[in-house]
Amino acid sequence: MRHCRRLFAKLKNLFRRAHAERELNREVSAHLTLLEDEFQSRGMSPDEARIEARRAYGGVEQAKQLHREERSILWLEETVADLRFACRSLLKTPGFTTVAVLTLALGIGANIAIFTVVNAVLLRPLPFQHPERLVRVFDDLKGAGAKDVGMSEPEFEDLRDRSGVFDNISVIFPLSTALSGGNHPERIELLMTSADYFQLLGAQAELGRVYEPRDARPGFTESVVISDGLWKRQFGGDPHILGRRIRVDEDGYTIVGVMPPDFRHPGQTLAGDVELWAACGFAADPLPSPPVRAQRLLPGAMARLKPGLTIQQAQQHLDALAAQLAQTYPKEYPASSRWSLRLEPVEQTLTGSVRPTLVVLLAAVGLVLLMVAVNMASLLVARSSARIRELAIRQALGASRTRLVRQLLTESVLLSLIGGLAAMLVLALTKGSLLALMPSDLPRLSEVHFDARALSLACVLSLLTGILFGLTPSLHASSTDPNRDLKEGTRGGTSSLRQNRFRSALVATEIALSVVLLSGAGLLVHSFWNTLRANPGFDPNGLIVARIWIPFPNNPAMNRYRTAPAIAGFTREILRRVRALPGIEEAAMGGDNSVPLVTNTGNQTAFSLPDQSDSAVKQRSAESASVSPEFFQVLRTPLLRGRFFTEADTDKTKPVVIVNESLAKQYLLGRDVGRIMNFGGADWEIVGVIADLRDDGLDTKVAPRFYRPLYQGPANEMAIFLRGASDSSGLKQAVTGIVQAVDPDLPVYGVRTMREMMATSLARRRFSLSLMAVFGALALFLASIGIYGVMAYAVSQRAQEFSIRMALGAQPRDILLLSLRPGAILTLTGVALGLAAAQGATHLMASLLFGVSPSDPMTFVGVPIALASVALLACWIPAQRAVRIPPVAALRS
Amino acid sequence: MPSEGKPRLQILQGTLDLVVLRTLRSLGPRHAYGIAARLEQVSGDLLKLNQGTLYPALVRLEQQGRIKGKWDTTENGREAKYYAITKAGLKALGEETQRWRQLSGLMEKLLGEES
Repeated sequence: MRHCRRLFAKLKNLFRRAHAERELNREVSAHLTLLEDEFQSRGMSPDEARIEARRAYGGVEQAKQLHREERSILWLEETVADLRFACRSLLKTPGFTTVAVLTLALGIGANIAIFTVVNAVLLRPLPFQHPERLVRVFDDLKGAGAKDVGMSEPEFEDLRDRSGVFDNISVIFPLSTALSGGNHPERIELLMTSADYFQLLGAQAELGRVYEPRDARPGFTESVVISDGLWKRQFGGDPHILGRRIRVDEDGYTIVGVMPPDFRHPGQTLAGDVELWAACGFAADPLPSPPVRAQRLLPGAMARLKPGLTIQQAQQHLDALAAQLAQTYPKEYPASSRWSLRLEPVEQTLTGSVRPTLVVLLAAVGLVLLMVAVNMASLLVARSSARIRELAIRQALGASRTRLVRQLLTESVLLSLIGGLAAMLVLALTKGSLLALMPSDLPRLSEVHFDARALSLACVLSLLTGILFGLTPSLHASSTDPNRDLKEGTRGGTSSLRQNRFRSALVATEIALSVVLLSGAGLLVHSFWNTLRANPGFDPNGLIVARIWIPFPNNPAMNRYRTAPAIAGFTREILRRVRALPGIEEAAMGGDNSVPLVTNTGNQTAFSLPDQSDSAVKQRSAESASVSPEFFQVLRTPLLRGRFFTEADTDKTKPVVIVNESLAKQYLLGRDVGRIMNFGGADWEIVGVIADLRDDGLDTKVAPRFYRPLYQGPANEMAIFLRGASDSSGLKQAVTGIVQAVDPDLPVYGVRTMREMMATSLARRRFSLSLMAVFGALALFLASIGIYGVMAYAVSQRAQEFSIRMALGAQPRDILLLSLRPGAILTLTGVALGLAAAQGATHLMASLLFGVSPSDPMTFVGVPIALASVALLACWIPAQRAVRIPPVAALRS
Repeated sequence: MPSEGKPRLQILQGTLDLVVLRTLRSLGPRHAYGIAARLEQVSGDLLKLNQGTLYPALVRLEQQGRIKGKWDTTENGREAKYYAITKAGLKALGEETQRWRQLSGLMEKLLGEES
């Protein structure tokens, strides 16, 4: 109680300092008067009495100070006073304050923005219980150098029943599907899972229930779960949705649950979010029954590790299991294929591909903030040289050095806090449009939002930046010698040069930092240029793609497109009709995995070359696609050897394939056309070699790939390729009309120009490039302001010297060189330091580069030249000014 | 004024508050000078006291609510701040005196044993 009361009184005095001080003065002088009276009454003269009174009282100032310390919280009171003073002095220089707050807001804001994304995508745990126990399971054929080859149902069962490391395990089988039973037929993303899926994630439905292990059947379970998005879009958010029958690829299902809006499948999807979950045992129609161990029809699995097991421990168990299975089934697992099981944290599978980009961006934005801090430090040094007399006077009046440092620091921290606040305000206001700038394929994008962590980082960053850029200049400024500085402030002298030398060091640092940033940006620009220039293997101009989903009913008898003739008939009919569309010159169709630049399921096909002596021990693998005879001509992909597919390549004739150049180079070694490839239990003759088509993205290495004729087998996904139109908007209606005239149940989706698809596939690269370019430009700007400031000051300090030189006969050219020299030395030092640092730093971004080495000569010559030119220009302007000063004016000033 | 040569006592930390309270209780409201004069009078030359050093104690006690200051005029017509002990001050004086007596008794005993 007593303590509270005192604290309150002390706090009150913080803000009534003037009042308390008046009261104290009044009391002290009253006290002294009483003492004087006393001494006079003892017979002293008034003068003697006054002196005696002071002696008896003791040091007046000391007493006052004791009083102050007692009545209030001194350090806080001083801080309040410092803050007041800082506000006043910042308000007095609005130009400086505005520039400072703006640069700080930019630096801090950019950091918070990038951190918010990094936090959501990389740092925040996945929104499931114990996300660290969630893993993906992949099958690899190390012998064939093939990763993620898919999994067969018996293998899945072994994992579930015999591995002993999982609490739950579920197949993960993303699939396109045609949905009817809602408002209109639509192609949506279906995730086929085991019945354990939701238990594995620990997820609950928002409405109704999820399917459970007891719902497990050998084939599909009747009950399905839909996403919140699908519920709202197709069923108008109908609260009585539960029990509703829908048709998915011809099969009937019942909706038993709707997931919450923020539930996302934590893994790669085909194009968007999963909207329908269905449980399947994968051991009945449409899959082979009984399942075949050698047929890896399932793309992969997700599992929850038993508590207390590390991934490494679990991996050891799986290695043992794989070895054991290889012994039991030598025919299915030939030693040469080195079949193995691999675990990876779900989080890593989900976000691994963006990690390098985000880490580089975070590092870059951190550098930007560092540059802002250095720039601020340099500004503050300039400011404190203007205040050198003020500081000297304060010191002469008894302010200690720590007290001066504290006061200067208060100013810089106040500045950066205002900057941080401004940054947060701007970010909060522009959040929507900033999110729209992000590449839409960024995983976990929907989870990006400010949280307590970002907020506290904003505070910490502001404080740290303030201290960082404030501390050195204030230490520097406070190391004054009042005696010297009081004299010096009147006329420019040596200590100002001392200040300027310190600023020069800061500016050299700035230049070095901007070399690092600009080199990073330069490498990305060069990479982007390379991706744009890279030959995609097809001509994207005037090429339009429309995709069709061919339903895949559970009952094979229901599948109208099960046979090659059915597919061929359908394809020929569609092609006949679309060729009649106005403006369309040529058309072709492709089957599964035929659309370039679209995320393919990625499972590779293992094949052997029977004429190769090592075919029994050496496994080979490649991607595959099926295409109609006109495909390569329509895409304008050049044929290197052999022939294209023709209308005559059907299921009645000998199976043929066309391989890409990469496959020929990697596996066929000069002898290609006419050779036999064996896969899927059949021999296929290689009839042609085609140039590489960049299927997996413009900036990825082309994988070995072979093409089968569309007319020789079934397909699920099909695509129409149209040549001749430049705009996709009018075509969607027309193509949908044609397809549904042939078969009303087939959904058409993804009608886009090839140019649009290329832009999308480069979105992530474009995003990181734009950010790095902005950061680089910012760095260049800050560095040139910095060097300009130092040079302008140096020239103004030496105006008299230059005048004397001119008066003594120096030519303007001499003066120009004289004033340029320090700037040039500064720039070159900075550039040299920066180049050394950049060499190290850019190696960290090797994975983001395409066709460029981390020590790309173009970047590492271009950046220094560009930077040096800008820096020298910044020096040139003040140097020019130095030449133009009339000597008389300078001498008189 | 203290004369040279005689050893002078520093007032013990914390006892000044007690002394001020005690003085105010026996003499009634007094200004800082009055309190200081009284202390010197009682201690003779034994106590070294700059009158200014009273101020922290006065601030402390006032903030604790044990004394209350009020501006008034002296009999000579000079203005001065008079401090009066409050109820809380009286209570605290009782407690503190008790504690001080115990402590000094203990010290007495301990020092007596030593010699």
